[in-house]
Amino acid sequence: MKFKKKISKNRFVQFFASIKLTVICLFLLYILTFWGTVAQIQYGLYQAQNQFFHSLFFLVFGFIPFPGAQLVMWVLFVNLICVALTRFIYYSWRQIGILIIHAGLLLFLISGYVTLHSSHESYLNLKEGQASNVSAAYHDWEIAIWESSPQEDPLVNKNHVTAFDVSGLKPDQVIPIKHLDLQLTVKKFYKNCEAYTGDQSNKILSASGIGRLEPTELLKEPEKNTPGGIFQFNINKNKVLDVILYGGEAKPFSFQGEGKTYNVILRLKRYPLPFTLKLVDFKKEEHPGTDMARTYQSLVEILMDHAKREKLISMNDPLRYTDYTFYQSSFSIDKMGNESSVLAVVKNRGRLLPYISTFVTFLGLVIHFVTMAIRSRKD
Amino acid sequence: MIRKVFSIQNIFMLLLLSSLIFPSRSYAQGMCPLDTLKPKKVGSLESFKRIPVLNQGRIKPLESYAQNLLLLFSGKTHYKKETAVEWLARFLFAPRTTFNDKIFLINSPEIAEALKIEPDKHRRYSYNQLSPGYDKLKELAEAISSIDEKNQSVVDKEILRVYSNVLLFLRLSGAFTFAVPHPDFYIESAETRALLNLDNDQTKFSFYNVLEKSEPLSQVAKTLETKEHLLWTDAEKDIGRILSALDFWSQHYSNCPLGLIPTQSPENEEWLSPMDTILGGFFDPAYKQEIKALRDMAVAYWDGSQLAFDINARMFSDSVSKRLSPTEKKITKKIPLELLYNQFNFLAWAKLFYALGFFIFLFSLTFKQKKLYQAAVAMTILGFIPHALALILRISILSRPPVSNLFETFVFVGLICVFLGCILEVVNKNWLGLVVANTCGFILLTIAGKYSAEGDTMQVLIAVLNSNFWLSTHVLAITIGYAGCCVAGIMGHIYILQLLAPKSDAKNSEITYKCMLGILGFGLTMTFLGTTLGGIWADQSWGRFWGWDPKENGALMIVLWCSIIFHSRIAKIINPLGAAVGCILALVNVMWAWFGVNLLSVGLHSYGFTSGIATTLGAYVVIELLFIAVSVIWLGKKNIKF
Repeated sequence: MKFKKKISKNRFVQFFASIKLTVICLFLLYILTFWGTVAQIQYGLYQAQNQFFHSLFFLVFGFIPFPGAQLVMWVLFVNLICVALTRFIYYSWRQIGILIIHAGLLLFLISGYVTLHSSHESYLNLKEGQASNVSAAYHDWEIAIWESSPQEDPLVNKNHVTAFDVSGLKPDQVIPIKHLDLQLTVKKFYKNCEAYTGDQSNKILSASGIGRLEPTELLKEPEKNTPGGIFQFNINKNKVLDVILYGGEAKPFSFQGEGKTYNVILRLKRYPLPFTLKLVDFKKEEHPGTDMARTYQSLVEILMDHAKREKLISMNDPLRYTDYTFYQSSFSIDKMGNESSVLAVVKNRGRLLPYISTFVTFLGLVIHFVTMAIRSRKD
Repeated sequence: MIRKVFSIQNIFMLLLLSSLIFPSRSYAQGMCPLDTLKPKKVGSLESFKRIPVLNQGRIKPLESYAQNLLLLFSGKTHYKKETAVEWLARFLFAPRTTFNDKIFLINSPEIAEALKIEPDKHRRYSYNQLSPGYDKLKELAEAISSIDEKNQSVVDKEILRVYSNVLLFLRLSGAFTFAVPHPDFYIESAETRALLNLDNDQTKFSFYNVLEKSEPLSQVAKTLETKEHLLWTDAEKDIGRILSALDFWSQHYSNCPLGLIPTQSPENEEWLSPMDTILGGFFDPAYKQEIKALRDMAVAYWDGSQLAFDINARMFSDSVSKRLSPTEKKITKKIPLELLYNQFNFLAWAKLFYALGFFIFLFSLTFKQKKLYQAAVAMTILGFIPHALALILRISILSRPPVSNLFETFVFVGLICVFLGCILEVVNKNWLGLVVANTCGFILLTIAGKYSAEGDTMQVLIAVLNSNFWLSTHVLAITIGYAGCCVAGIMGHIYILQLLAPKSDAKNSEITYKCMLGILGFGLTMTFLGTTLGGIWADQSWGRFWGWDPKENGALMIVLWCSIIFHSRIAKIINPLGAAVGCILALVNVMWAWFGVNLLSVGLHSYGFTSGIATTLGAYVVIELLFIAVSVIWLGKKNIKF
């Protein structure tokens, strides 16, 4: 009893337990949702998502701060807990519906947090017959460095690849890679740029003869941005190389140092998968006499250490494997008629949380409104 | 079997030979004397309209096909006094009689101007009017189709639509030419007829007549191949002419998009036009029988012989349905249901009764009589029955849940609104539910009518929607939620009107207020369920529960708005009037989520061309805001607080 009273008198709790605050937050969320929808016309989904929903704050007209959806949801979270501590604990069984609703909503907020921080999306592009155990990011880039191995057969050799994220790179940043005896200095880095040949006199090296990079504006669709930059490699503290790395290059840049050959490439981030997936067959069915797809299907083989099994992935029927889920996302057929299938790979630890919260909240809503209806009939 | 193979080879040989002999002869198609002829027609097309046809991925009766085709061309489901199926029969069997029918709808007078046609007041033009400008139309359409779809103007899109309609008209107009006599196959010389074993009493033959004689034809063709052209006899020259015509026809009339005849191979689900079937394998006995039946139908149509027409139509349908795969058979068994659906315009009846019910209510405001109340109840029930029947029929015809396209959302939400209204009426018995039911039913069915004018309302579904489980859970829940919010919005209006009324009855408006909140709670519950189930569906098919897609956001906004109303009430920010205003705004919100977001043309839920709606939607929002502003100020003077 004492604890309950003490809590109710805490000024912080009192402030955050206000229902007026709830209304304000809901209204802000409402405005953000509308704004973030309309903004998608101009900025595209990705940027709108980042500005309005994933952010804590953003600036309107460049100087008026406005809370982002993440902050609003944090406040709602605190608000909900404070209300629970000050009001809900006094509720009787007659208000059980409200309690269940809000428990479900609390779980929703938690699952939002978990998803934001623990899930990542990537894709797997497989030709028929091809197998892979790494998926690629849609628009996150990395610089990968590895030492060439003496055997050139790609099936036999295994490379130990060192890779780092490029999203936060700044000019003059120094990145030591101790186990390779390398040091990398960022001279220039552009999130989106175009590459031009020419002017080799400035002694900047590149894998595909690029002479200079011109930064360009960031595009609406993040997957259309191609980053690039000029990097200085310091090998064993005595040899210095200036290298242009560009996201559009297919081949890695190779250089020598102390009898070793190093390879470096700027590429879409790779994620290792816990098993190898092989595309056996891709099938696209159309409604007869139309171009309209009725179903897309990929027959895949899951290759584990000593066993393999087949699974048919189709629209609305993904493959699930531990925290990973593989979805039929897209496909392509080249001029030779070779089919390849694009599978979206999603890793999400909190995948089931929204399912549970949906069920709980809905149950609460039903109980609440049914009891309300019955009570109002009695009156 | 051997004979069959041989025969099939025969026809290929024949066509091959004719193309070898006459490699470069371009064929100027002479004006057909049929132009001036008129078919005697048959009186009843009962047997014709139930013939199955595969169109846009779905097997449907020819009647539905006819309605959709005419709708596509002219925006109407009938031509003058002819029903769609009557027009279709005339178009297929005697195409030239339709060349002066004004069936091509061109909305923009600019296009008529560009094609050098006198703009028509009814905006509809005949093929003969359009054909002089055909080259221009083609040129424009080809230029436009190279532009990115986003940058095409409304006129551009209209040009593409008209062009594709004219093309479709042209291709379909050749579907039955094989069956009727044509000057290309007129054979004046008795010698030639004898050589081909043709009937010696007549001179006018059709493609089909000649094709039947492919064996003697190919024999002659083989001798012609080796013979010097100068040495050809007159009869042989005549046959040369016919061979060349056969070649031209087989190219000119192939690829016709009228799927009447299913193929014999079980893997190929496509259905072919008669001409394509002839080219693919005329000597397959089933094909041969079916083509003969179609030919005889055409002949009977010209002769006006009802009996022969019906017998052949039956024979054709029977032969086709015997060959269908089990799933296809299941669909063709639904054809009588679809004909029933077409025959009785259930939704129009429902709309009429709802309108009557509403007028009776208006009437009752001045004449308070019990009989009026009973009449209004009767009207609501009379509207509800055909409304529900229409949906039940659609469910069984399409074997899928009732909501899978925008048109169906209006019909279904309308039905749920009426149902909710009926429940309210049973509980309160004070006109409230009747008014709600009739208003919602009428308005939503009117909107549905506008959407059904865009073409077939029973289309097949794209891959991601092709899931009965999610269509029957997520989609139904969200549309029921929309219905709940719509009803609450309408009741918000009623509540305010009741307060505004000169002799306002406090008890009545209190009931309205309570019911409004109850229904809003129902709407919130169902919208919440629908939205989160949508998230689960998205998680199942794309791998993310929530992606801030415009349609998702629209639904979330409804949920947020409803909870804002409930929380503001508890926080004592608003009074009953404020809650009523909130419900009206919830209705505005539903409209935004329902079609507003489609106007943004971004995201995963775009349903296509809805640009005409923007103005209507804008006007609706303005009117609603004016209504709220005026009534709140007015009631403020009466000391009723927001």
